[in-house]
Amino acid sequence: MPTITFTQPSGEATDVIVDEGVSLMRAAVTNGIEGIVGECGGQAMCATCHVFVRPEFAAALPEISDDEEEMLDCTTAERTDASRLGCQIKMSSTLSNIVVDVPSDQV
Amino acid sequence: MSNQPSTTTGCPFTGELPTDPAELAALMAEVPATHEATETGIEAPVADWVTIEDLYRDPFPIYRRMREEAAVHWVPAVNRYMVTSYAACHEIEQDEATYSADEHNSLMKRSMGHSMLRKDNPEHQVDRDSYGATLRPGTIKKHWNAIFEANNEKYLAELLDKGPGADFVWDYAAPYTGENLRMVMGFHNATQQDLQRWSQTLIDGTGNYADDPDVWALAKKSSDEVDAAIDEMLPYLAKNPEPSLLSGLSSMPIPLEAIRANLKMTIGGGLNEPRDVLATTVWALLNNPDQLEAVLAEPKLHSVAFEESVRWVAPIGMYPRETTRDVVLEGVNLPRGARLGVVLGAANRDPAVFEDPETFNIFRPKKPHLGFGGGVHFCAGTWIARAQVAQIAMPTLFEKLPNLRLDPASETIDAGWVFRGMTKMPVLWG
Repeated sequence: MPTITFTQPSGEATDVIVDEGVSLMRAAVTNGIEGIVGECGGQAMCATCHVFVRPEFAAALPEISDDEEEMLDCTTAERTDASRLGCQIKMSSTLSNIVVDVPSDQV
Repeated sequence: MSNQPSTTTGCPFTGELPTDPAELAALMAEVPATHEATETGIEAPVADWVTIEDLYRDPFPIYRRMREEAAVHWVPAVNRYMVTSYAACHEIEQDEATYSADEHNSLMKRSMGHSMLRKDNPEHQVDRDSYGATLRPGTIKKHWNAIFEANNEKYLAELLDKGPGADFVWDYAAPYTGENLRMVMGFHNATQQDLQRWSQTLIDGTGNYADDPDVWALAKKSSDEVDAAIDEMLPYLAKNPEPSLLSGLSSMPIPLEAIRANLKMTIGGGLNEPRDVLATTVWALLNNPDQLEAVLAEPKLHSVAFEESVRWVAPIGMYPRETTRDVVLEGVNLPRGARLGVVLGAANRDPAVFEDPETFNIFRPKKPHLGFGGGVHFCAGTWIARAQVAQIAMPTLFEKLPNLRLDPASETIDAGWVFRGMTKMPVLWG
């Protein structure tokens, strides 16, 4: 099963093992990862599951949809090239062992 | 599905347990907390001391007493379990399979029809998706902000014309948010006064626990008026498309019954709530001059003040859910079919999450409040509210109404619990 590594601004990292098809946001919320809120339950509507995806995984990510694009402009921590919404990243074998950085501010 | 504890020592419940106490302790610490193991709780305490009148006047001391006793109470006066802790409300929002929005004998269904707010997925998502991009940040930026700015100018001018002593809620916040909603929805055949009347009478029906026939009659009259207005607008907007909700819905394969119910829910949620947040935020800032000064010096803090206000006085203080199975919620037994009130107004003041929670404080550490709800029913109008209140109304009104202050010669009233806001707020300026 894929593993997600969430790295906090403090440097502390937590590994979470999830089933394929589970979103990165859901995995974080279910496992109580600090700094990932996921208010809207995965509708790309709240921008509170913002993560920075490490560049080595960028190519394996899905395209940014229009909904995600406009929501990324509403994140609390400033958007970067690495910014994505966790709810739009579904885990798969090509993303196993993905590493993401949790922003310092989410709300 | 994740973080499975190591099972190299075998199942602790069937295997032979180690005799060494340290080994045994280490093993027991690894025992997974299974679902079954947590399925014992206490019976919900009965809060027979709670009255609707007290809740309406000021619910917060009541919530505080309840929360200190248990996360969930049975409240005879409300004929529901009331859930008051942050953790319990959050758990409900994360588990729609156990906590259904599709409540039986729903007053909201009777008043407004069966809207998306009382549906579970997958049915809910079809309705939710039918709203398209109208309420999303991209459309707000491209289209609504300019309209909100023009409306704000118009209704601030009307408030100025009325002169000092005018009521901030009824002479400004209500018509401003009413006109914004009218245009977002696409009711070109109605006035903001119609929207205000529809909103209030339909909401009164939704809260008609006393089954007052006069309240039902007014709600029915508004419901019929809304249906007629929708029927008139849909064919027009199908030919003359625009970014409004009605225009989007005019080309959607959605049953008319669902369109009507969803739009009535939106009338109810899209006017009173931004109106109340706007007035409550301004009231809170006027009562806290140091915080007002900080906001005026740094306009970015308008958004912070807005969110803190939604936390402090959630404009929708409680919404219903119904359990689909026997369940233990934060240590309290709930039978299947239990009718719950999810009290966001209480969760947002839970000291387990927010330090000094009863105080309005824009400088508090930022934490997610539950004021917009969570999960699939997360408020669809969140960004519209943020735009019209925090981005457009607040910065301008403090500019146009210098030295804005509460009228000391007059009473200011905040009231309500299911819905809470300012009901009277005369102001002076200049």
